[in-house]
Amino acid sequence: MTERFDVVVVGAGPAGSMAALTLARAGRSVCLLERGPFPGSKNLYGGVIYGRVLDEILPRWIDEAPIERWVTRRVTMVLTETQSLAVDFRSSAWGAKPYNGATALRPEFDSWLASEAEKAGAVLVCSTTATGLLLDERGRTTGVRTDRPGGDIEAGVVIACDGVNAFLAKQAGLTSTEDPSHYTLGVKEVLALAPDEIERRFGLEPGEGADFEVIGGTGGIAGGGFLYTNRETVSVGLVLSIEGLSRSETRPEQLLAEFKSHPAIRPLVAGGDVVEYGAHLIPEAGLAMMPRLAGDGILVAGDAAGMCLAAGIWLEGVNFAMASGAAAGEAAAEALERGDTSAGGLRGYRKRLEANFVLADHRRLKRAPHLVLSDRMQHQYPQLVCNLVEEIFTVRNPSPKQGIVAQARQERRKAGVRLRDLARDGWSAWRTFR
Amino acid sequence: MSRSSESSPVAFEDRMATTEFRIASEPHISVHGDSCRGCTTRACVTACPAKLFVPTSDGGILFNYEQCFECGTCYLVCNTEGAITWAYPEGGAGVVYRRS
Amino acid sequence: MRRPLFAACWKVVELRSSIDPLTGEVTPDHLSLGVSRSDEAALEWALRSAARWGGGVRLVTAGSAKTEAALRQGAAVGATELLRVDLPIDWPSDWIARAVAPHLADADLVWCGDMSTDRGSGAFPAYLAAELGISQALGLIGVELNGPDGPAGSDGPDKGLGFEALRRLDGGRRERLSIGARAVLSCEGATTRLRRASLDGVLVARDAPIAVRVGSRGTTVAPAVASIAPFRPRARVVEPPAGPTARERIRSLTGADAAGRTARAITLNPREAAVAILEALGSWGELPAGLSGERAGDLP
Ligand SMILES: Cc1cc2nc3c(=O)[nH]c(=O)nc-3n(C[C@H](O)[C@H](O)[C@H](O)COP(=O)(O)OP(=O)(O)OC[C@H]3O[C@@H](n4cnc5c(N)ncnc54)[C@H](O)[C@@H]3O)c2cc1C
Ligand code: SF4
Ligand code: SF4
Repeated sequence: MTERFDVVVVGAGPAGSMAALTLARAGRSVCLLERGPFPGSKNLYGGVIYGRVLDEILPRWIDEAPIERWVTRRVTMVLTETQSLAVDFRSSAWGAKPYNGATALRPEFDSWLASEAEKAGAVLVCSTTATGLLLDERGRTTGVRTDRPGGDIEAGVVIACDGVNAFLAKQAGLTSTEDPSHYTLGVKEVLALAPDEIERRFGLEPGEGADFEVIGGTGGIAGGGFLYTNRETVSVGLVLSIEGLSRSETRPEQLLAEFKSHPAIRPLVAGGDVVEYGAHLIPEAGLAMMPRLAGDGILVAGDAAGMCLAAGIWLEGVNFAMASGAAAGEAAAEALERGDTSAGGLRGYRKRLEANFVLADHRRLKRAPHLVLSDRMQHQYPQLVCNLVEEIFTVRNPSPKQGIVAQARQERRKAGVRLRDLARDGWSAWRTFR
Repeated sequence: MSRSSESSPVAFEDRMATTEFRIASEPHISVHGDSCRGCTTRACVTACPAKLFVPTSDGGILFNYEQCFECGTCYLVCNTEGAITWAYPEGGAGVVYRRS
Repeated sequence: MRRPLFAACWKVVELRSSIDPLTGEVTPDHLSLGVSRSDEAALEWALRSAARWGGGVRLVTAGSAKTEAALRQGAAVGATELLRVDLPIDWPSDWIARAVAPHLADADLVWCGDMSTDRGSGAFPAYLAAELGISQALGLIGVELNGPDGPAGSDGPDKGLGFEALRRLDGGRRERLSIGARAVLSCEGATTRLRRASLDGVLVARDAPIAVRVGSRGTTVAPAVASIAPFRPRARVVEPPAGPTARERIRSLTGADAAGRTARAITLNPREAAVAILEALGSWGELPAGLSGERAGDLP
């Protein structure tokens, strides 16, 4: 027996739930498939969600979403083996409505978002894996096959929100990338600490949270680290280049243990028992890996479309997933309305992404992933700036203090950075992040 | 970094025991040990965050699917065509994150 | 002939909870509501019973409305009737059995899991059998539904509705039972695995009707609890061992030389057996003061 819906959304992550919610509100019958026993059960991430994109669609999200802490402190840190240099930004504005970022646990958050889609009328079916697309003789997508008995579902449009491995987009021929350099691996530990202990260590008021993004500290493998405070746990993890890892002799959890024992990190995490350990891939390459976003009868959104923004000091994917999911939902509703669900009929999706931040941010930061994972950015520059700052603040009485420019020149030479490269990277950083 | 990690003496089994796995009756990933005999990188052995690939003395690979994070790293790092067959486990089975 | 009715009883619980190591406070995990493997097995046996002898499957749970999503998963695999007895799940097992029993009076076989995952006692099926006044076979570790037809001599609507099952006994021994309707059965999770619901089943079950009955409060008085303390085997005071060498003292301390408590096989009627057991326990000093073989005369 074959079921039929206007739309099947595969994956009840942030992209899928927003697509389903949008379609259900547009009066469409929509089936939201999730392979985990509940939404979020497969979706390990770092920790901070930027919910601004929900303001219009779910105006009460601030009060209703399962938030752990509102981020009021954001630290960007550079680590060498023995040194650390941080920009420590605090904003009390972020600690009051409308807030900025929030830490949240994905099993809670994704379950909540999916339940909002259900309230709007979407049919959520968990514990069900989509094993492939149903294609007609001309290669158009007509539905999905699931791993339940009698599990075929026909639909006018399939929205693939199945996350980073993107098997459905690959089957539809919208992408073929399996280039390891396009991905990083996130490994993470969740450590239990009492709420007041977290507030003491991170210098926070009750309910406030901290977000630490770290460049370096990954034992020579390109990548970075992160620390996020939840209500009664701290998430600590590393983001590791897949290529670096496959050449490495050191296993991910050993790298993580070394990161945790760095003098700048240890005092924050010491004594916290591991209460969960896990790993998940991150699509790192942005525009360079983005598939064709629409095919006949199919749209791709969220991580499946490489829309996660992973560019060193940024690690944002949930907001991009939610925005692209909502845009896919709107475009699918529009196409069904017009009776044209071909790739052309679905082109409203790309238009919407061009108009909002999703593609604009990716365009602007299109060189960032390459730059951030480059060897100089990963090793030489952190060493250089840390040494420079160390020189500046090391008191060498009775010798007089040296001029900063002279010291900088010296450190650059010591770190083996050529002026030409510095100038080039500086220029491309300017073009990338301006 | 070379510093010893005094603050993290967690044994790997204990680390894995913190995460819930609902074990499917069928493996979702299979590794074809024969293809691995010629492999020089053995990238999966160090890269798999769940440490599921164990080299055997005769040059093969022993693989156990039960505590898999379903991340995909292994098929990305493996260069040998046909060595790994990879799919998601049956709906409802596999890793269940709760505090991530 | 009346269509047979098979029932399965589920206890819907949080399958995971975190326990604060310092305060012992238990925080149940709301996303993990479900039933144990053995409850799942119970439904599978009920479904297979219906497949073998025809008839319907009634799935019953006791608890609040939040159990209903789990109950619907039972409808998705083929339970034909869903029933929830509304009562607080922390009632003692005998109250719950009394509240549920009236809704199982027409069931030929009632399948239960042998124990729920929330440190349940496994007593519910026994109380249920007592309430219903029917036989019980608890702790089954193997079930053979497709053996030869039921116990000879059974007739009426239950004719032929019988099968064999294996039960665990102490000391690694097994008991093979011949079971006929009506009976309450409890099975271990390893006996079988619940089938996977079809997609159609899942979709239809979303709107499956659930009958709700209010469970009336039981009347038994909860046993008075004098104190709660961790279990520690009682220490028995013994004379310091005498003897010139350590070896002899050890022998006397461990009773190696004394006449052993050897096992003996005796055949007695139940009442005599109870008296003999109490006497033996009393003579070994295992009974608290005031309870001994002499009180055996109080037995019914
Ligand atoms: C270590 C790490 C740290 C991160 N930190 C942050 C952060 O701090 N902030 C931030 O905003 N983002 C962060 N991200 C990125 C963010 O997690 C993702 O961008 C985001 O989850 C993408 O959402 P999605 O809905 O596209 O995909 P996902 O969240 O991956 O959801 C995909 C869903 O589809 C389901 N699914 C997959 N295949 C199938 C199938 N065949 N059938 C049925 N269901 C299927 C999955 O179970 C899953 O529920 C991080 C990621 C990682 C790995
Ligand atoms: S699985 Fe791939 S990477 Fe691992 S040993 Fe076999 S061939 Fe090598
Ligand atoms: S998917 Fe990830 S956790 Fe599973 S075997 Fe492959 S690398 Fe290991």
